[in-house]
Amino acid sequence: MAIKQPSDKSHFILPDLGEGLEEAELIKWRVKPGEKVAEHQTLAEMETDKALVEVPSPWAGVIRELHGAEGDTIKVGAVLVSYEAGSGARATAAGAAGTGASKASAAGDRPATGSRVAVAEPDESVREDAGTVVGSVGGTMRISTALTRRREDSAASAPAGRALATPAVRRIARDAGVDINRVPGSGRGGRVTAGDVQSFIGRDTTDRAGATPSRGGAAAADAAPVLISTDDVSERIPFRGVRRKIAASLTRAVQTAVHFTCTEEADVTQLDVKRREYARVLGTKLSFLPFVVLAVCRSLRSHPSLNANVDDASGEILRKSVVNLGVAVDTDHGLMVPVIHDCARLSLVAVAEVVGTLAAGCRDRSIAREKLIGGTFTISNVGSYGGLFATPIINYPEVGILALGRVYEKVLVRGGAFYAGRVMPLSISCDHRVVDGAEAARFLGTLRTLLESPDQLLG
Amino acid sequence: MPVEPVYRAEISRVSILDEHGRFDGALGADLIPDADVVALYEHMLLCRTLDEIAFKLQRSGRMGTYPQNMGQEAASLGAAYALDRRDWMVTCYRENAGLFWHGVPPELILLHWMGDERGNHIPADVQATPISIPIGTQMLHAAGLAWAEKLRKTGAIACTFFGDGATSEGDFHEAANFAANLDLPVIFVCQNNGWAISVPSRIQSSAPTFAQRGLAYGMESIQVDGNDLFAVVYVMRDAIRRAREQSRPTFIEAVTYRLRDHTTADDARRYRDAEELAAWEKRDPLVRLRGWLESRRLWSPDQEAAAKERSQSEVNAIVARAEGIAAPAAGDFFNHMYAELPDELRRQRDTMRTSSLGQDPSECSREPSPPPSPAHAH
Repeated sequence: MAIKQPSDKSHFILPDLGEGLEEAELIKWRVKPGEKVAEHQTLAEMETDKALVEVPSPWAGVIRELHGAEGDTIKVGAVLVSYEAGSGARATAAGAAGTGASKASAAGDRPATGSRVAVAEPDESVREDAGTVVGSVGGTMRISTALTRRREDSAASAPAGRALATPAVRRIARDAGVDINRVPGSGRGGRVTAGDVQSFIGRDTTDRAGATPSRGGAAAADAAPVLISTDDVSERIPFRGVRRKIAASLTRAVQTAVHFTCTEEADVTQLDVKRREYARVLGTKLSFLPFVVLAVCRSLRSHPSLNANVDDASGEILRKSVVNLGVAVDTDHGLMVPVIHDCARLSLVAVAEVVGTLAAGCRDRSIAREKLIGGTFTISNVGSYGGLFATPIINYPEVGILALGRVYEKVLVRGGAFYAGRVMPLSISCDHRVVDGAEAARFLGTLRTLLESPDQLLG
Repeated sequence: MPVEPVYRAEISRVSILDEHGRFDGALGADLIPDADVVALYEHMLLCRTLDEIAFKLQRSGRMGTYPQNMGQEAASLGAAYALDRRDWMVTCYRENAGLFWHGVPPELILLHWMGDERGNHIPADVQATPISIPIGTQMLHAAGLAWAEKLRKTGAIACTFFGDGATSEGDFHEAANFAANLDLPVIFVCQNNGWAISVPSRIQSSAPTFAQRGLAYGMESIQVDGNDLFAVVYVMRDAIRRAREQSRPTFIEAVTYRLRDHTTADDARRYRDAEELAAWEKRDPLVRLRGWLESRRLWSPDQEAAAKERSQSEVNAIVARAEGIAAPAAGDFFNHMYAELPDELRRQRDTMRTSSLGQDPSECSREPSPPPSPAHAH
């Protein structure tokens, strides 16, 4: 579909370059800021799901700013370039500066060589109200009466400020007894979406129920634009790249999976002894992580409901017959989660090696894309940086994630006697839609037993 | 009983001006007056300029999906030139050159691709149907139109256009069967451009020609170099004579090639060889016709430059006209289905911008009914 560009030609919004596409990758800029461009001149080369295409400028003007770096993925509807104010009008023929009111005057006497700037796009309200042909009707144009007759459309006089929404959304509002014009729209062009209506209903409920001030406040923030102070900003960092991908996938995870977390401590005193022995024999450093990986694989075998993906599109839970274990890695550019495929087949030493290789691949970004997908369960070893318990976010569409806390010395009790031991804090988050609390607790119990009995784990 | 043949047939191919500039003086003599060849060439230039600009309009978000016509101008233009104004053009979407020649305002076609269905509202004095996007539906319409003209004894005929892929649709076979058995004055022009989107002809058909598909229904069938304007006019004149004088259909396979993608949502580089494209660029109908004109001193580089400039400004004006047409009002979609709007639809129309769908505006002020109780976490 054609996309509505700003009538003042101040910026160019990336249109759908194919048919039903949502984004395109910026391959190469073909213009620079300050450059004067002609109508139809190529601005950039972009790659869509289907093709490598050249994106032309819809009007003549002077480039003010390029939005996005080569390699970035740009969403349809996002600003691609902005133009110097008024440069579009100056650089072309006798056209007026693109307001709805001036468009009709451009009709007759416009030189034939002029670009479309002369017939500026009328703003929405003018279009709705007039319902007649503007621009150069007449002359050589043979136009049918359907295009020129004045519509007796009652909607034409509807005042501004009325909600835009599809019939389906209007139906949802009507069924809920909500006046759709009161619902703030978050969709394209301010359209009210089904989600907007739902959250509006939710807000009404809490308001009426006399909810706590904080709840009401949070809900109200949905509707009003967030006030952001621009004082004392030390650095502006564009939200893009890996950071943006992390944000998108975590938002999706939190909005889709129903999270709950439960925690446990494992006495790893014995395991620590084994770990040091192994490290000495192998002559390398060896962390707790490979041991936990083995224990998790074994525990998942006993609790297969945690080794799964949720397919929300088809409404299915997909239990997996192999463990593809994701291991969260902290890198300079943000969190990445490489996956150890069919992890249960690996020995302790192999696990240690694979984890090291994958982590290095993430840090220098040489890792292959297929090694970042397909996980069935994830471990986050956040404790290596500190902290005891966490509420980890599920790596959706997986259904469980385990966070390891910092191993520390603690006074423990066994059989009525104190002793000094080492404990590992464990926190597991699960998708409550798939895994109930009791099952998560049982999984932690199995895991703890294995970690506390290294002979059983390694035997 | 001996085995003896009961039917033999052959498919002829007509070529008058070939890609090397050779001109068949016998077939081509007095076929088209020189002044008309110049006008036809200028028209092809205009169409090609419009085609390139239309492509850019899509890429800059000013238009929706658009199928480029480049390379196939001669087939539909030669046909339209041979037809009368009273005859029907029943096209798909790669016949801009013929449609504009026949009288369809170019801005209407742009309007259609801009997503405004009013672009298909063809002026009443132009005998053309809306361009057909679904593959194959229009051939039956053409058979029906030809039948109606025959019953009314108007002398008008119908000419329909479709691609090679459309001949694999059932609609084609129904239309061809009706046309042949009812003696309908209709011409089937198959623009065989070698590719049904990404499906090559060799997968589309096991027969060496598409013209055989017309032959199977008992109609005159012929193959023509679709990039040769003279040859297209020649075979069209023959078919028109057959339609008007004998009320018999003809199947014409115009062999051509699209030099661009199937549509703006396609990337032909993914399935076509660069060598194949390069070979067809040499057979470009515009290159061929320009060469012919220059060899007869009917055209010069100066005229070429001037014509290109004229095309550019004319296309700019066409685009400005198309973009200057106000968007349809939202309520319009209630206005064209029923002569008298049913009550339920009237309520939707009257309340679509003032309240929730179908809700009486007076109901908006009433206290919202309590929503279902919120579900508990866990």
